[in-house]
Amino acid sequence: MNDVLRTLREARPAELNPDVPVGDEVRRAELARAMAAPAGSGAREARVPRRSRLRPMWGLGLAGAVAAASVGVVAVTSGGDGGKAPGRGIQAAPERPMDSRTILLAAAEKLDGATETTGAYWHKSTVGTSSWLVQGQGKERYTVLLMEKSDEWAPGRPGGKMIGSQQRLGVKPATKADAAAYARAGSPKSLSLQVPIQPRGKGTYKAMKVSTGPGRVETSSTPLVGGDKVYWLGRNVTMKQLQSLPADPARLKKEVMRWYGGHDTEASSVPMKADAWLFRVAGSLVTELPVQPKVRAAAFRMLAGLKTVDSVGKVTDPQGRTGDAIGMTEKDPNGVVRHLLVIDPATGKALADERVLLTPAANDPRAAGTVLSSSSVMTMEWTDSAPK
Amino acid sequence: MADPAPRERAPDERRFTAMYDDCRQRVWAYAAARAGRQIADEVVSETFAVAWRRIADVPDPPLPWLLGVARNVLRDGYRAEARREACTAELARWAPRPSGDIAEDVAERLAVVRAMAAIPEADREILILVAWQGLSPREAARVVGCSPAALRVRLHRARKRLLRAADAGAEPAAGPAAGQAAADAGGRPVRPQMGIVSEERA
Repeated sequence: MNDVLRTLREARPAELNPDVPVGDEVRRAELARAMAAPAGSGAREARVPRRSRLRPMWGLGLAGAVAAASVGVVAVTSGGDGGKAPGRGIQAAPERPMDSRTILLAAAEKLDGATETTGAYWHKSTVGTSSWLVQGQGKERYTVLLMEKSDEWAPGRPGGKMIGSQQRLGVKPATKADAAAYARAGSPKSLSLQVPIQPRGKGTYKAMKVSTGPGRVETSSTPLVGGDKVYWLGRNVTMKQLQSLPADPARLKKEVMRWYGGHDTEASSVPMKADAWLFRVAGSLVTELPVQPKVRAAAFRMLAGLKTVDSVGKVTDPQGRTGDAIGMTEKDPNGVVRHLLVIDPATGKALADERVLLTPAANDPRAAGTVLSSSSVMTMEWTDSAPK
Repeated sequence: MADPAPRERAPDERRFTAMYDDCRQRVWAYAAARAGRQIADEVVSETFAVAWRRIADVPDPPLPWLLGVARNVLRDGYRAEARREACTAELARWAPRPSGDIAEDVAERLAVVRAMAAIPEADREILILVAWQGLSPREAARVVGCSPAALRVRLHRARKRLLRAADAGAEPAAGPAAGQAAADAGGRPVRPQMGIVSEERA
């Protein structure tokens, strides 16, 4: 051991690798918590930060959804203002669900014939929801959904800029019970969201003030990382790499598993099982990444081969659209959480991904069935222009 | 876009978010190496809350400043004994004692990581900054608040102690005495001594 410093450098635990982006959920909580106070001397309302462009939604975006009937949790219905509003929970229909394999293979077949011509920009538009606790009257706490629209234009060629636009659509009570608690609190136009001090959810909260109405549109334009990296898929990838992913499910699995290090897709500190990783990667391929339709088909077939994936059956996504859902259940710091992927059986396209809290962790005050977060795909296509 | 009146994000917010994206994992890795993952989560959260409140004071590049804040949060928020225990547990998890035959270089690396638990906290910190964070002596000096020359001396000593601990089989220096020594050593700049500096050059 003649150069102990070199040995030490080589021995750095993988968890301490700083090059892996932080998970979106952690990122959102930490940024929100940091910016809950006024910046410097100038006081201003803290905003929920937008998701970073480089990160697909697996990590965080994933929103939670409501519970699935197949696991016996009561579906949460929308609060107050009618069923079609965004943020509404998934509701399972009474009929017996198709098995997940059937759903996935049918979606893959729909995509087999599809073609896509590339353009100057890959445009994706999503509406996301996230759930937050609010202090109500007295000791009462209720849950609200914060809704956000977000658009992104990723350049098809190296050297361009990632264009983004984001707008908070509003905040509303998550369920009927939450709506009643909101009314008891006097239906305030401005709410104090309780942001956990640290992501693992123990202990205390900081207040973050938001108004319940829509916010302004915020735009951004960012040079690509390294000039050509557009997304993160276990590592930073270029448009070219995404376009040349294999369309054979076994080869696709092998390719993406090369970047699996036993940790989360985004946060190196979160250990993860290989199936959960594949579920997120596949979810990302079908809900946001610029890959060819046959690669999305391969992603569905890859999921069809996983025993941990099960079926939820017919559901309504947060935008009120009907689809078939498949899911995977995981334990995370929030408790037992069910990840759902909603697929349109008519087109084989993904409609939404969601995260539903099935069994809250002992220290988590939210109710079983809470939609932790959701993201609905509104647009996902190549286009020739992007806003300036 | 059909939306009226698009608006650039406030410069402070943009800068802060970029700073967070660039440095968050490094701050976390620094705190996790010093006091385990759980404390690291809390330290990161507090560090960036401080950075946002003091956004006008944050220099460019921000990393040494952020690590300095994290260092203060660690020192003021957690007892030396709690830091040491959490760190020892984390290092043991990262570098379990091998059972059966493993390659020599692998065994050597595991031994070095375990040896990190056996040296004083101040030594460990310097090694984390230089070997695991990849900071230059100048940057590391800014984090711990001493001169680059003093930093080199401390690095040299830390390296020697680490080597000794690794060769000795890396039994963690248990007991309150070791923890106390580490706490005492923490944060105090060490004056450069000629002898040691020349030894380092040799």
